[in-house]
Amino acid sequence: MNAIAIVFRKELTEILRDRRTLMAIGLAALATPIILYVIAQVTTKTATQSYTIGYSGDVPAGLDILFNATGMKLERVADPAAAAKRQVDIGLVFSNSGIDEYYDPTRQSAQVADVRLQTILSKYDAAKVAAALQQKGVDPSVLNPLPVTQHPLSSPTQAASNSFLSFFLPYILITMSLTGGLSAALDSSAGERERRTLESLLLTPAPRSQILIGKILAVTTISLTAAIAAIVSMLFALSRIQFGERAGEVFQVSLSPLATVVMVWLAILLAAAFSCLTITLGTLARNFRQGQAYATPLYFITIFPASIILFIPDFSPNVGYYLIPILNAVLVLRDAIVHDTVSWSSLAVTSASLIVTGALCFFAALRLFTREALLVRS
Amino acid sequence: MSQTAVKVGRLEKSLQTNKVLRGISFEANAGEIFGLLGPNGAGKTTTLRVICTLLAPDSGSVEVLGYDTRTAPQEVRRRVGVVTAEFGVYPRLSARENIAYFAELSGVMDGELDRKVDAVIERLDMASFAKQRAESLSSGQKQKVAIARAIVHDPPVLMFDEPTSNLDVLASREIRAFMVESKGRGKCVIFSTHVLHDAERLCDRVTIIHQGRVVASGSTAEVRGKYQDLEDSFLALVEAAK
Repeated sequence: MNAIAIVFRKELTEILRDRRTLMAIGLAALATPIILYVIAQVTTKTATQSYTIGYSGDVPAGLDILFNATGMKLERVADPAAAAKRQVDIGLVFSNSGIDEYYDPTRQSAQVADVRLQTILSKYDAAKVAAALQQKGVDPSVLNPLPVTQHPLSSPTQAASNSFLSFFLPYILITMSLTGGLSAALDSSAGERERRTLESLLLTPAPRSQILIGKILAVTTISLTAAIAAIVSMLFALSRIQFGERAGEVFQVSLSPLATVVMVWLAILLAAAFSCLTITLGTLARNFRQGQAYATPLYFITIFPASIILFIPDFSPNVGYYLIPILNAVLVLRDAIVHDTVSWSSLAVTSASLIVTGALCFFAALRLFTREALLVRS
Repeated sequence: MSQTAVKVGRLEKSLQTNKVLRGISFEANAGEIFGLLGPNGAGKTTTLRVICTLLAPDSGSVEVLGYDTRTAPQEVRRRVGVVTAEFGVYPRLSARENIAYFAELSGVMDGELDRKVDAVIERLDMASFAKQRAESLSSGQKQKVAIARAIVHDPPVLMFDEPTSNLDVLASREIRAFMVESKGRGKCVIFSTHVLHDAERLCDRVTIIHQGRVVASGSTAEVRGKYQDLEDSFLALVEAAK
């Protein structure tokens, strides 16, 4: 057996006997469904939430019916402006000249209620105007000279589920590729110095490059396992948890075969690149704790690219953006999930970028691993 | 005449800005215990690290059984076993797994792995704790694991760097007995220590290093010279070197 296989087997044995790594993988598999369940509950609650309108004066005929039908509860109050500060979500004063609206924009419930109110009032106004025109013998369609008929090319429910996956899947994939193997990476690098086993290891005739490759392969295996475990548990949970219904359609979340293949390929590249990077940082550190301090900024790297997709869902970058590691994986995965398509040039650039990143980290780690300072500093 | 196992010639080495070795020369033979003596910071550990190829010499030469440490480092490592005071072990592996790991990395083939590991476990009387995880072992037991992994590939040169400094009396005595036994097996044993009493009892020949230079070299009796013991001789030599 060559040194790579010997080191790989030994590192894997040690990692699998380490409770920290097993707990990280286990928690990832358990935490994802729990988080999704909480999100589902909040989503359902928000969709069925009713709001209270405190009012004075006389409610125009027919408007009360619209309010009741859209979950807006009417409650007569003496002073709607005062009530809108705390007691109700919105205060309305109905008078002959129109409606005075009072609401506190710092309250989220007031903001949502305001949006609903504006929608109801615009529909009410349109209906009243149409009725008045019809009474005078005018076709109400003159108010709408360019009527639009929508023809969605895909199911709006499917689009909603895809946009949900396009944020969560890259986020979980990247986070677990990093954190799943972090403890193992630091243990097999900084841990060697901390335990005082490094000198004995380097004294063996095994080439240092092979020792390093064996360690990286073991950490990559664990990172990949953690990422896949988290994603499988997420998809399983999504198939079981209902996020309410939209226009009679069940909110179903699924991953196409293309997106699955792209996800697994990117998971391998990310796990390998992160393993090289974290082992490099661990080799710089004198002990496990110092290694953790060095690795802390990496958490921001995992959050930032996924956040771009959340805040700029239609972000359409040129091919240069696919050179940026991590962000490129998020973008490719987003396209595969949302549009069920992959630009092969983008995938090629992304793959090359991640492979080069991993290779650079590997050579940095190898250089550190062969430096005399590594032992002298020990 | 005994075969020269380790040959160090005019060795110089700096660590960062500190010149640690300033032209060290000595030879250690097979079938002897060779003492590398000196106070803390004299350069003993650096010398051993250069011999076993962990550090590269700045100038001078080091050969182990005819192999140059610069041009054939892997051949040198195959022929050297090193035991230090820092007997770090892999805590989640058993004592036996620790030994087997180093045996495999040292080139012990699959067919003879079990036999060699079992032999070293028996030789060091480790059978009672061989299957225990290393994290639960005592200091003495861990030191035995460290020795076992250093000798499992049966190297002709053994180097002990302050091997007893973290051990109790009983464990220290076992280490000394092991060095004597290895000498009897024809090994070249290099014993680095600042405990001169140990060196006087064990070593056939010694070299005393002070501030990176050799201040005395020869048989233990020659270096002791007119003084009552090696310690008095050592103090006089160090004083004269100032």
